[in-house]
Amino acid sequence: MNVREWALITFTILAQMSVGSFIVLGIVHYFTAKKSGEKQADELSDRALLAIGPVLALGMAASLLHLGNPLNAYKAVTNLGTSWLSREIFFGVLFAVAGAVFAVMQWKKIATFQIRNLVAILAAVIGVALVYSMAMVYMMPTRPSWNMLTTPVSFFATTLLLGVLAMGAAFVANYWYVQSKNPGCASEQCVLLRDSLRWFAVASIVLLGFQFVLLPLWVALMAGPATASAAMLVGEFGVVFALRLAFVFLGAGVARHLFVPRGVESGARKSDGHGRVLGVRARPCR
Amino acid sequence: MAKQLAFHFDASACNGCKACQIACKDKNDLPLGINWRRVAQYGGGGWLPHPTRPDLVVANNIYAYSMSVACMHCENPACVQACPTNALTKRADGVVLINQDQCVGCRYCEWACPYGAPQFNEAKGVMTKCTFCEDLLAQGQNPACVDSCPARALAYGELSELRAKYGTENAIEPLPAANLTAPALVITPHRHAQASSKGTGHLLNGEEL
Repeated sequence: MNVREWALITFTILAQMSVGSFIVLGIVHYFTAKKSGEKQADELSDRALLAIGPVLALGMAASLLHLGNPLNAYKAVTNLGTSWLSREIFFGVLFAVAGAVFAVMQWKKIATFQIRNLVAILAAVIGVALVYSMAMVYMMPTRPSWNMLTTPVSFFATTLLLGVLAMGAAFVANYWYVQSKNPGCASEQCVLLRDSLRWFAVASIVLLGFQFVLLPLWVALMAGPATASAAMLVGEFGVVFALRLAFVFLGAGVARHLFVPRGVESGARKSDGHGRVLGVRARPCR
Repeated sequence: MAKQLAFHFDASACNGCKACQIACKDKNDLPLGINWRRVAQYGGGGWLPHPTRPDLVVANNIYAYSMSVACMHCENPACVQACPTNALTKRADGVVLINQDQCVGCRYCEWACPYGAPQFNEAKGVMTKCTFCEDLLAQGQNPACVDSCPARALAYGELSELRAKYGTENAIEPLPAANLTAPALVITPHRHAQASSKGTGHLLNGEEL
C-alpha cells in the first residue's frame, strides 16, 4: 500500500471516530443530565467534546494526501447529484461546521439548553449522513465484495466502536486527573466518569463481538458474487485476515482492561447483571 | 435515439497482434503503465479422453481468442456518475472525456469503471483516458487504433448503425456483463467466444492489462 491508500484509511477511521465520539458523548450527556442534572452532564462531557474537532480536522487533512491533484479539492463537491464521493465530502464539511458551532455554543453556554440540544441532534444527524455516504462510496457494482449490506453495517459498527473507545480514552484521562486532585473518587464527577467508563467497556465488548460475527458473515456472503475476492481474502491475504479476526477478539479483552481503571473494575464487577443506568447517585467509594 | 459513437470489434478477425494498443500508445504519447487500448487474451479448454478408448486417444478442446479493450464510451457511464468534480463528461456525440484541469486525482472513476478505462498518471496526478481520438475525428480522420489494425478488426461509427450491421453483442469474456454501464460496443464474436460471467476459460495476460 502506498501513501495515498493509507491517507484514505486514516481519513475514514478518523472521520468515523469523530462522528462516533459525538454520538456517544451525546448519549452519555443525555443520560447524565437526566440523572444528575445539566451542570454535572456539561462538566462531564465538555472537555471531551473539544477533543473531537482536532480528530476530524486531522482526518480531513489526511484525505488531501489521497488526492493526486489536491489543488482541485474544493471542486470535489460539485457532483452531489450522482457522486457519493461528493456527498461524502459535503457531509464531512457540514458535520465539521455543525460540530464546531455546537462546540462553541456549548463551551460558551450560548443559547438555552434546549436550543443547544437541537443543534447537537442536527450535527449528529449530519454525522450519520456522513458515515452513510462514506459507506456508499464503496457500494459499487464493479466491486462485488464491497457491494454488500455488510459494508454500511460495518461502517456504522466501527463508527460506534471508535466513538466508544475514543471517549473511553478521554474519560480515563479525565478520571486519572480527577483522582489525582481528589483521591478516593469522592466527587460526583469521579463517580459519573467511573459509571460512564463501565458502560463504555460493556458497549465496546458488545460492538467487538458484533464485528467478530460480521467478518465471517461477510466472507460467506462473498461466495457467488465475489468468489474471487473471497479466495484472495483467505488465500493471498489469509494471514492479514486471520490477524484482523484475532485482534477483534483480543480487542474485547483488552478494551476491558485498558479502558476500565482498577477502581472502576471493582465497581463494575459489583454491579454486573444489575442493569445499572448511567449517572447513578454518588456514593462513597471503597 | 441520441447520437452515440461506438467501436466495433471483430473478434473473429483479430489475431492478437496488439498493433492497436501500440498505435494508441504512440499517437497519444502514453507513459509507461498507461495503455488506453489493451488487448486481452482469453482461453480455456483441456484434454478430452476419447469416449470409447480413453486409454488410446486423447484429444483436446483448447481455445483462445483476443479482445481489444478501450474505453467503451458507455451510454450509462459509471465514471461520469462517480466523478466528484464533474471532470468526466459525456459529449453530445457520446464520447466520454476527462477535463484534467477539473480532475482532483481521487481515482474514484478508476474504481467505478468495469473496463479499466480511466488510468492514473502518477507524474501529473490526474486521470487519463481514451478520447476516441477526438482530435483526429475533428479532422475527418479515423481513430489511431482503427487505422492501425492489419486485420481490419476494429471499426467505429454510430452505435445504432453498427448494431444494425453487426448485431448487439457486447458482453464476451473477459469483459464484464453489459448491464453495469451499457457499453457502446459491438462485438462480432470469435467462434470460441464465451458469454460474460459464464466463461469456461480464464484471462491469459492479466499482468499486461
